[in-house]
Amino acid sequence: MLAIANVTKTFNPGTPNEVRALRNVSLVLENGSFLIIIGTNGSGKSTLLNAVAGSFYADSGSLTLAGQTITRWPEHRRAKLIGRVFQNPFSGTAPSMSIAENLAMAAHRGRPRGFGWALNQRLKSELRDRIRSLNMGLEDRIDNAIGTLSGGQRQALTLLMASWLKPELLLLDEHTAALDPKSADQVIRLTHEIIQRDKLTTLMVTHSMQQAVHLGDRIVMMHRGQVLHDLQGAERARVRPEDLLKRFDDVRRREQLDPTVAEMLQRNYI
Amino acid sequence: MTLLIGATTIGLILALLALGVYLSFRIFNFPDITADGSITLGAAVTATLLVHHVSPALATLAGFGAGVLAGMATGLLHTKFKINSLLSGILVMTALYSVNLHVMGKSNVPLLNETTLASQAEGLGMKWLHLGVDAELHVFGWTVGLRDAATLLAMLLLVAGLGLLLYLFFRTNLGTAMRATGDNPQMIRALGVSVDFIIILGLALSNGLIALAGSLLAQYQGFADVQMGIGMVVWGLASVIIGEALVGSSRIGLLITGAVIGSVLFRLLVAIALRWGLNPNDLKLITAAFVFVALVAPSLLRKLKPAPQPKPSEA
Repeated sequence: MLAIANVTKTFNPGTPNEVRALRNVSLVLENGSFLIIIGTNGSGKSTLLNAVAGSFYADSGSLTLAGQTITRWPEHRRAKLIGRVFQNPFSGTAPSMSIAENLAMAAHRGRPRGFGWALNQRLKSELRDRIRSLNMGLEDRIDNAIGTLSGGQRQALTLLMASWLKPELLLLDEHTAALDPKSADQVIRLTHEIIQRDKLTTLMVTHSMQQAVHLGDRIVMMHRGQVLHDLQGAERARVRPEDLLKRFDDVRRREQLDPTVAEMLQRNYI
Repeated sequence: MTLLIGATTIGLILALLALGVYLSFRIFNFPDITADGSITLGAAVTATLLVHHVSPALATLAGFGAGVLAGMATGLLHTKFKINSLLSGILVMTALYSVNLHVMGKSNVPLLNETTLASQAEGLGMKWLHLGVDAELHVFGWTVGLRDAATLLAMLLLVAGLGLLLYLFFRTNLGTAMRATGDNPQMIRALGVSVDFIIILGLALSNGLIALAGSLLAQYQGFADVQMGIGMVVWGLASVIIGEALVGSSRIGLLITGAVIGSVLFRLLVAIALRWGLNPNDLKLITAAFVFVALVAPSLLRKLKPAPQPKPSEA
């Protein structure tokens, strides 16, 4: 279970570039649930994901994952509990190293690394089997440098790596946004399969309303560093892409007004 | 012949420098200038200990250890105090100049009558072959001094051994994590590796190797000098670049071999050039120019290559 409690983050505080990226965000994610975060650019959705991953420390608030308070854990320590796929397909793999070596490193996620061989026959045959399940024909190329693969292939492998040792939490940061539609579909199908099979607790950020509606069991819409809507249960089940788009329009319309006016209108008319 | 053997031996010794530079520049993409100071540090520590009659093996090991500490210092400056990588190296290198003077107590320590690894290698050679000090060997019709041959062989074995160890290390869990740190720090952090720790470890290893080169060089040439490190980073880089051009592959084992061969080849080229009348004062200028050309040439060549012409269509 992931508990985000009153997390606040301000970038460049006290400067003209001050950005209040997260304002008192609280969310509780039950084990095995699949939460999708949507929101406009700059709404803080990726910032929230990075705060959980440990790319920076929150200014205030606390983070609890699998019964441990990870608020002050550095990123590499949190990686013991968290598997992660980035938006950029090049971020999740080491390009000059082979497919096999990349996966071998993932098979040691969060574990001490000593002088044991990174690869052995047993591990190689295991990872060949798992790569075969991607149906991308990569199982015969495991000694090739991963940098020679396409973005979609690399993202599929990153997904495999992030979930190799079943993580307590899987973080997906718009992981199909940089892919062509066909690869994106393939990676989404794979995402669905892996999360279903391993019952992974997942936090996914996306721009795609289709993905938001068809994947996951809960939708959170963020705006200006806050949780604006939290759709669960029956409400979540009814929601269609158009409904989400309408909520975005509402946000946009309100955006054009002065915040105080918007608040007044909302008080009086909604 | 003596000239060639001498140059090859020094080339082999400096191959350790090349391996150290390969580790920091290529594996980590960390332009580590500490090398100029740590190669002298290795020489200074070993020479001073030898003058105080410490056993050569121990003195050499201490030289390696001193380099490890120097590398850790650079790594700490960079990771814990967030100082730019180049500047971290420059700071430690500058500080090491004073440290080296303190270690040696003067700017030059001669090792003429001390027992060194080099003299021990000669001793072993003599014992095995039952020959006198000035004995000569006849190899392929050439006359070779026993002293030179023994040292060359010893260095060859040592460098081959260390190169192999480095290669094997890069295939362990820790070694692959180190390679990935240079390749994609974000990725390896997300897999639970402390990038700071790996950088400190890698720089320690790199400078340890470089200091070992200094230690062996001092024993081979019979002195340690506070100036001997100047320009050594560029020297090491030149060797690595020659090696890369030779093997033309990105496989780690080949690149390590390439760096060793590159170092020997570069030293031989320099020895021959000097023999032909190259002014020794120009050596550093030419080395720097060589590295410059090697860095720029590949992209220049690509630009010069004409774009492929579209085939005339058969209308």
